[in-house]
Amino acid sequence: MINRKHGIALLVLLFLLSMVMVACNNETAEPEEETEDPVEQEDPEEESEEESEAPDEGPQMGGTLTGAMDTAPAGVFNPIFYQEAYEANILDFTHEGLVSQNESLEFEANLAKEWTINDDNTEITLTLEEGVTWHDGEPFTADDVVYTYKAIASPGYIEAGGVRTEYANKLAGYEAFNSGETDEFEGVVAEDDHTVTFKFTESNVTILKDVSFPIIPEHVFGEVAIEDIPSHPGTLDAGEVIGTGPFKFSDMLEREQYVLTKHADYWKGEPYLDQIVWRIVDQSVMLGLLENGEIDFISDPNGVPAADFDTVAALDHIEIIEQTDFGYQLMGFKVNHRTDADVDSGTINQDNWVPNEDMSEQLIRQAMAYAIDRQALVDNLLYGHGSVINAPIAQQFWAYDENAVTAYSYDPDKANELLDEAGYVDTNDDGYRETPAGEEWVVNLNYPTGNQLREASAPILAQFLEAVGIKIDLRQPKEMSAYVEDLTNDNTDWDLYLIGWSLASGDPDPSGLWKSGAAYNFSRWNNPDSDQLIEEAMQAPEAFEQSYREEKYSEWQSVFSEDLPALLLYAQNTIYGFNERLNGVAPMPYSFINDPHLWWVSE
Amino acid sequence: MYKYIIRRILIFIPMLFALTIIVFGLAQLAPGDALTGVSLSDPNIDPEVYEMQREAYGLNDPIPVQYFRWISSVAQGDLGNSLVFNGRSVSELIESRLANTIYLGLFSLAITIIVAIPIGIYSARRPYSLLDYGATGFGFLGLAIPNFFFGLIAIYVLSIKLGWFPAQGTLTTPGVTGLAAILDRIHHMILPGITLGLAGTATYMRYMRSEVLDVLGSDYIRTARAKGLSESTILYKHTLRNALIPIITLMGFEIGVLLSGAVITEQVFQYPGLGTLFLSSVTNRDYPVVMAIAMILGILILVGNLLADIFYSIIDPRIRYD
Repeated sequence: MINRKHGIALLVLLFLLSMVMVACNNETAEPEEETEDPVEQEDPEEESEEESEAPDEGPQMGGTLTGAMDTAPAGVFNPIFYQEAYEANILDFTHEGLVSQNESLEFEANLAKEWTINDDNTEITLTLEEGVTWHDGEPFTADDVVYTYKAIASPGYIEAGGVRTEYANKLAGYEAFNSGETDEFEGVVAEDDHTVTFKFTESNVTILKDVSFPIIPEHVFGEVAIEDIPSHPGTLDAGEVIGTGPFKFSDMLEREQYVLTKHADYWKGEPYLDQIVWRIVDQSVMLGLLENGEIDFISDPNGVPAADFDTVAALDHIEIIEQTDFGYQLMGFKVNHRTDADVDSGTINQDNWVPNEDMSEQLIRQAMAYAIDRQALVDNLLYGHGSVINAPIAQQFWAYDENAVTAYSYDPDKANELLDEAGYVDTNDDGYRETPAGEEWVVNLNYPTGNQLREASAPILAQFLEAVGIKIDLRQPKEMSAYVEDLTNDNTDWDLYLIGWSLASGDPDPSGLWKSGAAYNFSRWNNPDSDQLIEEAMQAPEAFEQSYREEKYSEWQSVFSEDLPALLLYAQNTIYGFNERLNGVAPMPYSFINDPHLWWVSE
Repeated sequence: MYKYIIRRILIFIPMLFALTIIVFGLAQLAPGDALTGVSLSDPNIDPEVYEMQREAYGLNDPIPVQYFRWISSVAQGDLGNSLVFNGRSVSELIESRLANTIYLGLFSLAITIIVAIPIGIYSARRPYSLLDYGATGFGFLGLAIPNFFFGLIAIYVLSIKLGWFPAQGTLTTPGVTGLAAILDRIHHMILPGITLGLAGTATYMRYMRSEVLDVLGSDYIRTARAKGLSESTILYKHTLRNALIPIITLMGFEIGVLLSGAVITEQVFQYPGLGTLFLSSVTNRDYPVVMAIAMILGILILVGNLLADIFYSIIDPRIRYD
């Protein structure tokens, strides 16, 4: 018996050992490759030959490229109804707008070759490119443009699941058409086959942004009722989705593969690549597949995780492009709370707000900003692949003004000083400060799950704040949907909250996030100066001049930075990784996919 | 027997009904809804838009009203529309995934049975042999290693490093048909199938071994031996029939477990089945889909148990239902 027991123990041991050995093998597998390098070094010669040949040969026709994303698109391949970045990865290849943004975020010609805007920016007349064909061979005309905007403006659009009303609701006659009073929509008019005019009720400062929406074909959807469009084959099925872009969405293995085939008649010229295939790959195996060449590129929305940057950079055949993301993470201060009555009725009226004790003190907010070493967050949490920002406008915009703001660089002494000045001192020697009234002072910090970096930042922030004597109650993180509900219904005791925003690249106007009446102004920040500046920056006719808007936004950023409704923690970098056989890649600040008809592969 | 089956099926109905109330109630108790998550994705979209959609989808109605609306449409055979995949009906969504999950489940069950039962029998007949120890060790390992971890190691070693099996999905390229497609599917199912069946294989092996050992030691086997019956008659005619009874119960449960346990395996292998759909629907608060899948799982578990009971009576003549 004893022997048997020993036998079993021995066997278990053996198995554990073999496990360890398997694990070791995995580890040694990588060094082995390195030792294989001498062998591979023969390749670089070939490669350099190839490289020297390649520029001579120039772009080659043909080839298939495989990209990876970690989540499958929901399956709504229609610009007017899709909501996720994953669908955008496909629609960016298949659909185009009249104008598009260049690398300095200015709008330039796309499907429209030129345009004239009237003096008070209420009308824009665009001349469309001629000879543009849809993927099914039909000609692209002004009627398609009219149809697209009409669809967004039509009654029942929101109920059918659409959310892009911001592109149509400034157009003339929107109210009447949307409410069903009339069948005529006067906002967009086709002058002839290749001329279209947009008419706005008021002077429109962001007129080019508003006409940039991707166009969908009238000959496919024209006869379809708006509520049936989301379930129409032209929205859902590969081969039926029709755009004017350089690639057609030709084949799909749902939730696994999405195949884009070149549109040979593309108006800017026949694409070099035959096919681009999106594969849905779990985040954990993505890098392995990039390494062994099964996938060629990792791009939006998540890119290569910052923690894996060095691993990917060490791969000889992978190139990396790193650029700043449009968005930021912030630690907000609940400056005010809404009343129970307002939360129940869903009212957002700053006159009813109740100041949040302590957090409504500007000095406290500033002190907290000085107490936090944001550079350390960027260096350690993002491995340096990000930046500290001080104004809530994306850095890529002309409107971003680094000089208008207080930098709030890490200065715990200054933080202590400001807290002392505000009357928050430690009176009972427990190591934490008390309120000016001598009561215990606890600041709570709430944060959501979902974004791992943000989750990891919460305890670090708490530590920084405790280091200057602020007692922090770090709450249990909540799942995002639940968190947002609590964040919105702010008749609670919340003080600090974490959230991230991904900003649109179209226009820097911050009113949706920071104007006092805005629903997403979760700080419930009420600053008349800020509101006034935000409004002035959009005021016609002065705002037609970009320099005027620049000035106003600069002033606004300084107001924001001084009053500090939120401390902006960091802006992450997006890291694109792609196989060196892919050529012609020129990402825009807002997207990896730019002029994919010029992409080509060297075999 | 038939009366028994009908009675069992009739009991299903109130059980399912109770299940829907519990699932619906729990789902609604969680704060937030299908639109709260997406509402933050783009700050340019007026929150008013989402409020109008909530109203249109009836998400603002009291919970009993929503439940009644849901149950009455289900009673008419309509599972409703997904709140997230707008425009897609729930039955269409499930239909597109259910087959994948069933293939994977059956495939992994087949692997389990083919591997576990012979080894279990062998272990029992030659207890404390090297193979028995090996199987025991494997059994403990199989139970101890979490699914996703085994799956990741399998992908890393067998797929990325050695390139023997595809790492993700169900097919290499869309649009393939016929035998090539079937073989490609099976090729894709091997890794997730083994991963999913790992714990089951270990369990079945242990059960089989101890059951067969148990039966082999019983009096009627000694009698059979005394009668001079051949060893194979004793094993296949007398021992196995008795030893299989608990295994069949186990399998009855396994059907539900395979489907729900596939959630993680499917995620790791990006295998588009019911599991991944369930996971994404739960995180997106897509209640119509969650409810429908919960119902399907409930029905499958109940049916699995019923089938197990019926097989009992076929295998063991002593068990009679009336």
